[in-house]
Amino acid sequence: MNINVILALFFNGIVLGLIQTMVAIGFSLVLGIGQVINFSHGLLFAFGAYVFWYISPIIGYWPAFLISPLIIGIMGYAIEKTLIKRVYGQDPLFGLLITFGLSLAGAELIRMLWGKTTKTVSTPDFAAGQIYFGSIIYSKYRIILAIIALIILLSIWLYMSRSNFGAIVKAGMFDSEMITALGHNLPALRNKVFVMGAVLAGVAGVIAAPLWSIKSEMGTDILMPAFLIALIGGLGSIKGTIFAGLIIGVMTSLGVLVIPRFTDILPYILLVIVLFFKPKGFYGEVTILGAIRGE
Amino acid sequence: MRNKSKILKDPYLYMLIFFLLCPFFPFLGKYITIITELLIWSLFALSFNLVLGYTGLPSFGQGAFYGAGTYAAALTYVHWSANSGNMFLPLLMASLVGGIFTYLFGFLIKGKRGIYFALLTVAFTQILYVIAFRWNEVTGGETGITGLIRGQFFGINLSDSKRYYFFVLLIVFVSYVVIRKITESPAGKTLMALKQNETRAQYLGYNTEKYCWYIFTISGVFAGLCGGLYCFLYNAAFADSLHWTKSGDVVMATLLGGGMVNFYGPLVGSTIFIIAREILSSIWDNWMLLYGASFVIVILFIPTGLLGLVEKWKEKKHIEKHNNYNGKKINPQIIPTKGEKK
Repeated sequence: MNINVILALFFNGIVLGLIQTMVAIGFSLVLGIGQVINFSHGLLFAFGAYVFWYISPIIGYWPAFLISPLIIGIMGYAIEKTLIKRVYGQDPLFGLLITFGLSLAGAELIRMLWGKTTKTVSTPDFAAGQIYFGSIIYSKYRIILAIIALIILLSIWLYMSRSNFGAIVKAGMFDSEMITALGHNLPALRNKVFVMGAVLAGVAGVIAAPLWSIKSEMGTDILMPAFLIALIGGLGSIKGTIFAGLIIGVMTSLGVLVIPRFTDILPYILLVIVLFFKPKGFYGEVTILGAIRGE
Repeated sequence: MRNKSKILKDPYLYMLIFFLLCPFFPFLGKYITIITELLIWSLFALSFNLVLGYTGLPSFGQGAFYGAGTYAAALTYVHWSANSGNMFLPLLMASLVGGIFTYLFGFLIKGKRGIYFALLTVAFTQILYVIAFRWNEVTGGETGITGLIRGQFFGINLSDSKRYYFFVLLIVFVSYVVIRKITESPAGKTLMALKQNETRAQYLGYNTEKYCWYIFTISGVFAGLCGGLYCFLYNAAFADSLHWTKSGDVVMATLLGGGMVNFYGPLVGSTIFIIAREILSSIWDNWMLLYGASFVIVILFIPTGLLGLVEKWKEKKHIEKHNNYNGKKINPQIIPTKGEKK
């Protein structure tokens, strides 16, 4: 087998993993602090891609790159304020169903607004073409995107592990009652975390838009990988999520060489193995979820 | 005498009569397939409610066992009983496979509670979906298994859709009675105690994990049976029936009717659910928008479901009646709840 093919697939896997990780972080944080399985998170990702597709011809590539995630952030704020905040801490099925309904309605809304056909965003001029590393040829655009995504993810990780805000969020996952008692505004904190996740999902959508075809089902398609990454990495742990995201991205990408048809199932097998030996995921700690199941 | 009046008061009797007469109504007779599906769905929702309503476990994977039943029935029928056309073995296999899957899966997750339980059930459903979707040699992959021809059940020819309807009706009603017997049994009462306070039930000496595991398995058996019946209704098995959206539908149907508070909730819910879906999808292209929005509305405004509303209203009437007694108000807490004798 050609080593170049393997390397190219490896890089593809990294890019895929980075995009999925960005979605997974928001999913994981909301799950940790709000105990809501947010099925509508994929919808935010899809909207990110659609908004980017819609506004980038009008205002140019870079402005659209910055503005679309902000629009998604506002959307996330509105969704959290009107709907999600009502199901925090309730029966998990309520949160699950409300976000599930939301994602169905949202996908239909996309179809109503922009039609059923798949859309494509062309690669911007400055990033067109290939880069040559010796004998390996790789798309310039993917490398630029990978670097941007990596910078964003690392800064989020640093922010959440070093800043005061990150510490409060982490404390909120352990004991939400206690941080309220210490004088922190829990609803506002949950809102901030949700909006942060939404912005990240929007960025992921923007990054994915030129790589994948944009369609209304892309939200539900990315949800399951994000879900798996969040579970395998450990709920609420940014480090674990990035780690798991990269592993799963590379695994699904390289898996094509070994078992072409069953690559989708590899992450699930990994999930079962991880949950069997390390029920909290790679870097998961005892969070509020652990407290519920008495660990 | 007491027994007789009890039977006459039973809502089942009237439901059975209604469904028996259903195909003979001139208007409803045309929609026999949908009514059959409705019956199957009501049993499916009822089986799901054994888990949700009686143990409070937030399972989001009931669709997995339903789908497993669909495939089990289709595969058994194609490979083992295509010649004789007997549907007994496929249906038996469907419920067995549903039961075995839930038994094995339940062993892994019986100790998990709350959101973690929900997450694992979603993951399990998705594993089965991917297998069914990709394993072309056995499951037919994306196209599924199609072109089955409904055969006979120990000599009774069921190829006619009206006959199949009565066959389904019989199975569904027998299952109803069995499920109700389970919920009324001491084990069912234990489950309700477990739902209210698991720790207390444990201190009373009940092995709550085992109870959860067994009721989960029983619900899997019925879900598998529903899958088998559904497979023969449309003469096909698709990977779609394993998708996690299916599990969302059944949870919705159960909650809509009020499965958390009333035994008949799932029946009411799935009836409304199927009828609304059929009507909506035939009159509006973008019906999914309303469909998704209805989930949000139900969770926000009627989380206890329709029968929950009825129950609340009854309670209110009850309290009002006592308040007006002798013209003075009393504390609602000391009013005996309905059904309690003095």
